[in-house]
Amino acid sequence: MKSVYLSVVSVLLLLSCKKIVTLKLNNVPAAIVIQGNVTNNAGPYFVTISQPVDFYVDNSFPPVSGASVLISNSEGQTDSLTEVSPGNYATSFIQGAPGDTYRLSVTVQGVNYTASSTMPSTVNLDSITFEENKGFGRTRISAVANFQDPAGERNYYQFVEYLDGVQLTKDLFVFDDRLSDGRYINYTLYNDTSYLQPGDAVRVDLYCIDSAVYNYFFQLLQSDGAGSFNTSASPANPTSNLSNGAFGYFSAHTVSSQSEFIP
Amino acid sequence: MLTISTKRLHRFLWSFVLLVIPTFVFSQVRHTVNGTVRDLNTGETLIGASIVFLHHPNAATLSNAYGFYSINSNAGRYQLVVSFAGYLPDTIGLFLGRDTLINVNLAPGTPQLQEVVVTANKNTNNVSRPLMGVQKLSISEIKDVPVIFGEKDILKTIQMLPGVQSGGDGSSGFYVRGGAVDQNLILLDEATVYNPSHLLGFFSTFNSDAIKDVTLYKGAIPAEFGGRLASVLDVRMNDGNIKDYVVSGGIGLISSRLNVEGPIEKDNGSFIVSARRTYADVFLKLSRDTNTNRSSLYFYDINAKANYKLGDKDRIYLSGYFGKDALGLGNTFGLVYGNSTATFRWNHIFNSRLFSNTSLIYSKYYYDITINSSNNNIGITSYIQDYHFKEDMEYYANADNKLNFGIDVINHATSPGVITASKTSSFNPLAVQSRYSLESAAYISHDLSLSDRVNINYGLRANVFTVYGPGTFYTYDSSGNAIDSTSYGSGQAVKSYFNLEPRFSLSWKLTAVSSVKVAYTRTTQNLHLLSNSTSSNPTDVWIPSSNNVRPELADQVSAGYFRNFKDNWYEFSVETYYRDMQNQIDYKNGAQLIANENVESQLIFGKGRSYGVELFGKKKVGRLTGWISYTLSRTERRFEGVNNYDWYPANQDRTHNLAVVGIYRLNPKWTLSGDFVYYTGNAVTWPSGKYEVNGQIVFLYTERNSYRMPPYNRLDLSATLQGKKTKKFESSWNFSIYNAYGRENPYSIGFQQDPGDPDKTQAVQYALFRWVPSVTYNFKF
Repeated sequence: MKSVYLSVVSVLLLLSCKKIVTLKLNNVPAAIVIQGNVTNNAGPYFVTISQPVDFYVDNSFPPVSGASVLISNSEGQTDSLTEVSPGNYATSFIQGAPGDTYRLSVTVQGVNYTASSTMPSTVNLDSITFEENKGFGRTRISAVANFQDPAGERNYYQFVEYLDGVQLTKDLFVFDDRLSDGRYINYTLYNDTSYLQPGDAVRVDLYCIDSAVYNYFFQLLQSDGAGSFNTSASPANPTSNLSNGAFGYFSAHTVSSQSEFIP
Repeated sequence: MLTISTKRLHRFLWSFVLLVIPTFVFSQVRHTVNGTVRDLNTGETLIGASIVFLHHPNAATLSNAYGFYSINSNAGRYQLVVSFAGYLPDTIGLFLGRDTLINVNLAPGTPQLQEVVVTANKNTNNVSRPLMGVQKLSISEIKDVPVIFGEKDILKTIQMLPGVQSGGDGSSGFYVRGGAVDQNLILLDEATVYNPSHLLGFFSTFNSDAIKDVTLYKGAIPAEFGGRLASVLDVRMNDGNIKDYVVSGGIGLISSRLNVEGPIEKDNGSFIVSARRTYADVFLKLSRDTNTNRSSLYFYDINAKANYKLGDKDRIYLSGYFGKDALGLGNTFGLVYGNSTATFRWNHIFNSRLFSNTSLIYSKYYYDITINSSNNNIGITSYIQDYHFKEDMEYYANADNKLNFGIDVINHATSPGVITASKTSSFNPLAVQSRYSLESAAYISHDLSLSDRVNINYGLRANVFTVYGPGTFYTYDSSGNAIDSTSYGSGQAVKSYFNLEPRFSLSWKLTAVSSVKVAYTRTTQNLHLLSNSTSSNPTDVWIPSSNNVRPELADQVSAGYFRNFKDNWYEFSVETYYRDMQNQIDYKNGAQLIANENVESQLIFGKGRSYGVELFGKKKVGRLTGWISYTLSRTERRFEGVNNYDWYPANQDRTHNLAVVGIYRLNPKWTLSGDFVYYTGNAVTWPSGKYEVNGQIVFLYTERNSYRMPPYNRLDLSATLQGKKTKKFESSWNFSIYNAYGRENPYSIGFQQDPGDPDKTQAVQYALFRWVPSVTYNFKF
């Protein structure tokens, strides 16, 4: 709803002038970025550790090697991750299951960062369909994820979309059932930067995530937008579930996938 | 030092007491002249006309909001001089031997030099009146100032006054002395206008054809006003021509206006109906694309007013405003919003010294969103609705004393959101609880002349705000989870707040044309607009104070020096202020403000402060008129969890703010005008760095509002060609160009991955308007 409203504003902006400007921005402080996932699919699961860079340097983020990375589950098992490539750490035996709480511990140069995440119950993605939106002289095709929201509980979802096997990383989709509890959900994945064409193969993964991870992504969406039109009065770093000021998140989530060709 | 000042204070207090006591004890028989000041041709009442006894300049008063005046003195022969900007002054000789009724009709026109000299000496209200931080604009001043789309606009024009900041390019939103947009009380014939803008802010809701008078109070706010922290914008509608039927209007590129007025019964009653509509959507209809030609983008508004004299002592007024905006994309999305207000007023003159006005007021703002996609049909509505009773009394005791007192009771109902959904929709129908509240106030204020030089106004406003049931009210822990809830029955009080708001101002005349003034004002606010985006949206929601949200409080002290030059052709003032604000509202990271039953858990509370110096110079008379306004200011906020609990600049903190307005009457046919605006960019939060999550670039922020948008500057030009004027018909053409040198003033700056080089990120600046030309044809018959 808000996005439609914003698109109206964006249309006004389209009619206006747009130009690239170079701003004088401060240097970024030293920090650690951790991203870790545990799913109900078979492992290994990965944790990546890197560092942020200044705004105007290239998008290449220095990996952090030599960290001690542990993931433990509610049964008291602890998996010590091995670094398979610089900054990328893999589990060896632990298996994710819905209902379990996972704890991540990362130690870099004597500083310990922790997070925990509980994997929600699985919600199955029934199907994906496609929706056409006409307007402003072009037709846009969007994938629609269809699934039943379980009644009587709070559910938080994340959608990951793949076009011909390639993840559309620029579009971030999260949804919660605050206003939709128990409904059959048709969630349209409006792409900001990619365009779907007839004949393309589309895969959608539906993740059930916990509330902290949902909040992380929701805040990320609010503060960054799609990067083009930022309406938040005061964008801020999303609240991470990691301790000690680390950026990023640790998520234990379920995965349910569907694939379809665009007719 | 200290003892001297205490002694002085004592002496001051004693003289104060001694002066107040005999106020209402008349030692001598005094007689009163009262009446109404009107325009000679139209019969429109004139607000704020100056009435003085010549050679007794201390005996002076102003006509009130209904044109009524009352002035008294000892028996004797007097010359009554009545003057008003843009009108020829009138001098009436009279012998005051008993209470006398004198209705005054002034003819519009520019006073000749000699007359100016005679009257202008007395016409120094800006210097001698204690109220400071007050800006008054008449429609004749507004009409020649160029604005965007050629539509003369009150809200765009007041943004060029000192201490007032624009909400951004083309925005009707404004900030007064560091206050937020929702901290301005905007009144149209006493009815609160909750959303003063059309079309996302590019037009204001005020159709200037229907407007008579605009007064902005930003410093010393009179005790009769309350409910907002920062300012009061008091807009009064025209009453309608009481002599003749007149049709006037304008045809512009974007909108057209029509205004019809005339007598209901000559000299006893009149009506006015004024309407506007934009037709940008007509062009959409021309499109062959079905989705585009079904889109809508328009607004209209109607102002209507009627008044009727019931006798020498009574007059009733009925006025209303109705406006609607519609924004739609084909059949898939629709947003409709608007204000409606209605005011019934009864003026009663008890006697030549006691004037009363009773008002019954209705006001509503609503929005309505509909979304239709393949199988997702949902609607969201929200509104705020007021029923308001107001009783104001003005007692003109004598030339040195005037009392204003009254009561003010408003019942608010706010519905933050009702969602309707079709059976197949992904959303549940939901009605977020409505909230009910009663805002009651009583006030008294006293205008007192302590001596030839010293005038004071002091007053007190006492207000009680009560939130009442039905409804369930929650309490929250520090992380925003509801820990307790209590249900209240219908009409049951949930929480009450009592606040006393003292108001004080003093002017000390140094010479006949200069003075210093000081003022202190406390204001409170119990309705809060939730808005966490840079511009205010029509879908922002008002919430009342509650068990979780406390009233906002502001204390302001101000001081100023006022000086008129060259027989009051020029006005100059410098004012300085400091304002302290408590219980200010901000939002948690990722706050959910839409249709959220627990919206109060999404708020954080902190402090604000603002201070500054405002310089203002105005040339009121001559072929060249206009003003220069400059404000140097700082506005800061302090919230727990933001920037280490240090003071940080608010978004609207602008160090420099300059506006120059000039109007030049070249000859009887051509009038040229221009304005120039320069201000420091807003304080904004930009990323310092970036990192990667899931292959997506995420920006990293360090401190809030630590960056600045580039400075804004703009020049607008306008020319008006007066057509042939006959008794029956007159017309004019207005040509204007907004942003004459086409500067790309940034509206927003966004950050993104470079589409051409995924290894880079870039900042993209959007600018809205370059060279907006417009042509308007105005007519009157």
